[in-house]
Amino acid sequence: MEIHLADIAMQFPGTRALDGVDVVFRSDEVHGLIGENGAGKSTLVSILGGSLQPSGGSLSIDGRSVRFGSPQDALSQGIAHVSQEGSLVPGLTGAENILLGVEPRRIGGMIRASALKAQAAALLATWFPQVDIDLGCPVAELPMADRKVIEIVRALRGSARIVILDEPTATLPAREKEQLWAIIRTLPARGVGVVLISHFLSEIKALSHRITVLRDGRRICTESADALDEQMLVDMMLRRSGSGPQRKSEEAARASRGEVVLDIRDWRVGRLHVPHFTLHAGEIVGLIGLTGAGHFGFARSLHSPSGVRCAGLAVGGRPVKPGPPAHMQAAGIALVPDHRMEYALIGEWTLRENLAMVHPGHGAIAAGILSPGREEAESRRIMRLLNVKAHSSGQLLRTLSGGNKQKISIGKWLYGAEGRYRVMIFIEPTEGVDIGAKAEIYAEMRRLAATGVGIVIASSDLLEIEALAHRVIPFHHLRPGPEIPGTGFSESAFIAAISGAVPETAKSGIPA
Amino acid sequence: MTDTATGSLPSHDRLFGLRKEHVQRYSTLVVLVAMFLVFSLGVDRFLTGQNLLNIAQQISMLTIVGAGLTFGFAAREMDLSVGYTVGLAGVLVPLLLVKGVPLPLALLAGLGAGLAVGAVNAILVTLVGIPSLIATLAVGSILYGINFLMTGGRAIYGGLDEVYLWLGQGRVAGIPVLAFFMLAAVLVAWFVMERTIFGRYIYAVGGNQKAAELSGIRVRKYRAAALVVCSLFAVMAGTLLAARLGSGQPNAGERYLLDGLATVFIGMTMFRPGTATVPGTFFGALFIGVINNGLNLMGMDTYIQAIVKGVIILAAVAVVSRSTKLNLL
Repeated sequence: MEIHLADIAMQFPGTRALDGVDVVFRSDEVHGLIGENGAGKSTLVSILGGSLQPSGGSLSIDGRSVRFGSPQDALSQGIAHVSQEGSLVPGLTGAENILLGVEPRRIGGMIRASALKAQAAALLATWFPQVDIDLGCPVAELPMADRKVIEIVRALRGSARIVILDEPTATLPAREKEQLWAIIRTLPARGVGVVLISHFLSEIKALSHRITVLRDGRRICTESADALDEQMLVDMMLRRSGSGPQRKSEEAARASRGEVVLDIRDWRVGRLHVPHFTLHAGEIVGLIGLTGAGHFGFARSLHSPSGVRCAGLAVGGRPVKPGPPAHMQAAGIALVPDHRMEYALIGEWTLRENLAMVHPGHGAIAAGILSPGREEAESRRIMRLLNVKAHSSGQLLRTLSGGNKQKISIGKWLYGAEGRYRVMIFIEPTEGVDIGAKAEIYAEMRRLAATGVGIVIASSDLLEIEALAHRVIPFHHLRPGPEIPGTGFSESAFIAAISGAVPETAKSGIPA
Repeated sequence: MTDTATGSLPSHDRLFGLRKEHVQRYSTLVVLVAMFLVFSLGVDRFLTGQNLLNIAQQISMLTIVGAGLTFGFAAREMDLSVGYTVGLAGVLVPLLLVKGVPLPLALLAGLGAGLAVGAVNAILVTLVGIPSLIATLAVGSILYGINFLMTGGRAIYGGLDEVYLWLGQGRVAGIPVLAFFMLAAVLVAWFVMERTIFGRYIYAVGGNQKAAELSGIRVRKYRAAALVVCSLFAVMAGTLLAARLGSGQPNAGERYLLDGLATVFIGMTMFRPGTATVPGTFFGALFIGVINNGLNLMGMDTYIQAIVKGVIILAAVAVVSRSTKLNLL
């Protein structure tokens, strides 16, 4: 079987996520799908899996036109989607999860427990005879790789001909990863194609027969995996210009390192451990890593260190005890978080109220009493400074575009607070932000650094990190790796550093 | 991808050529005015100075309870104990007066009781972590029991201080003293909510708790404070209620729970749809006052009034829920 996605377009408000993408997935191959965050991979597989309906283009299976209104439609046509986050019910056993919704029942609706176990075991044995999983055990107690296998078996229980695997190994330790690879490799020979999304280029290279590269919602190429090497893939993903690293090294040399504004020793949150971290005034440090590598958690914990144990924390040279966000802010640490509508802003508030959220006391008439006039003046100053495009400061925040919302999220920390923060943490600072506003936000971050603020950026946009950071700390399995100085910046260096322990095994045994 | 940019207004944001936003924001006020006109034309004795002052007097306690609840709602906390808190002050203050306690001390004791109830609610919600809907429901039941234990189920009357009775029944220049209390409560509540950092933080906690926390606002403190304010306004209303009735009745406060919630819900359809505001609550109380008064003058059965009120609450909540997410738990 083959499914042809022809001229697919997807329009979201304010963004064109996919534009004229044309690609064929077959049931006798592993088809790697790569691209940067925001390139359109997830949107494309959501359309393939039926959970999104394209705004343009068509789908056909073996020449017969199809339309998926829901994931059930796609499943009935043989397309199954195993999502990144996992969709197992943790309290149920492996067998119950495999047959969720199609349990063998007695008349009257009671589940036949023994038949359920037998059927699930048979499914597992049919598909993956080499695997040994205790299907009677609640999945919450199983290793991550086993859970993925159970999810895949569930996807295969019907008559799936193509399975979408979205970052299947992102949360797996190295050993379990290889077990899963072995399982994925067996599928095409048995008539089940795989559409594989992964950040690990080596994994894509090792498993795929063909690879499709997406960038900015367009298909850049579809090629046999043999014809591509990792360098070519990176180049296509990033449309790199040769001058990038050069310019960076000059800038890094220019960046004068001021005094230490943040000094951390033995910082532990859960299983995350950062032995030592320092940040200088005027410096921009990038934190990178794969999903779950700990770079986001570390960045977040600097501002809200609940559950942190540490041997030492000093901000601006003064020792500080970790405390709630209010306490860390008083010490001089600010956070511009990701998911701004959840973590930073209030949609039903005006821009003015949002900007004044952190320091409403600025320009207060008397202790605790607000001055609408001064609030308005300060809001206008910030909106001019950051070039926020809005009718007035009284406009509701939710009516703004992503870029302007992000500017307000940054502006909160500038409102009435010039020079108050020595350390600013940015997480995914340009998530859902258009190109123009992106450049303005970068300029603002550089301006802040130039005024002596130490900046930490945790981002999955490697191009962004390359453009802004003076040095980069890659995270892998909840530990920081060796630092990459500005002179050593390149996408391949970044990708190598964050994929860490993934072995560069050849794609042995896979027919081309 | 969830961000939407709206430069110009698309046509579906308009209704009969008016902006939907405005239609929604002012429709409740329009209904209120229409109702007022209908009663004025159709019901004898409705549009008289005396009757309008009656309405003011009738809604004053309700408005005070509603003003307190507005703080709770703004912080996304429900206080379902509010009716029995009204009742608590309504029996405690007369009880102390009958026992010969001087008026100022009795009034202070009433406030103290409010503080205590508010503190218990706040501790259960913010420290123990019980959702306010459940915690205050249980506390309400406890207060109900206490109110009846204190009075033995009987009304307390006779020997009440003259000044105390004046608070609930007196008039200054023909205007009920209660109306002045209502006005003061509304002005103070409005000022605190709209013009102080305290009020801004309460709104922030209710608007987006996670964002408030990550902006350095001590979320628990403001959730607790909102619940304490609810109880304080409720005891004020209860103190005035007993003065107006001339006796302390253990179950007199009960109707202030449902009506108080209704004033806030109706208010949430106005001004900033989905958000509890003090002016909204005031007009919500006026709405209920006008309905009750008008239907009364028409000689309508009180049971019919209850049905009408229920329908109006549903209509108001339906309007709010359609426009915004209304999560109260």
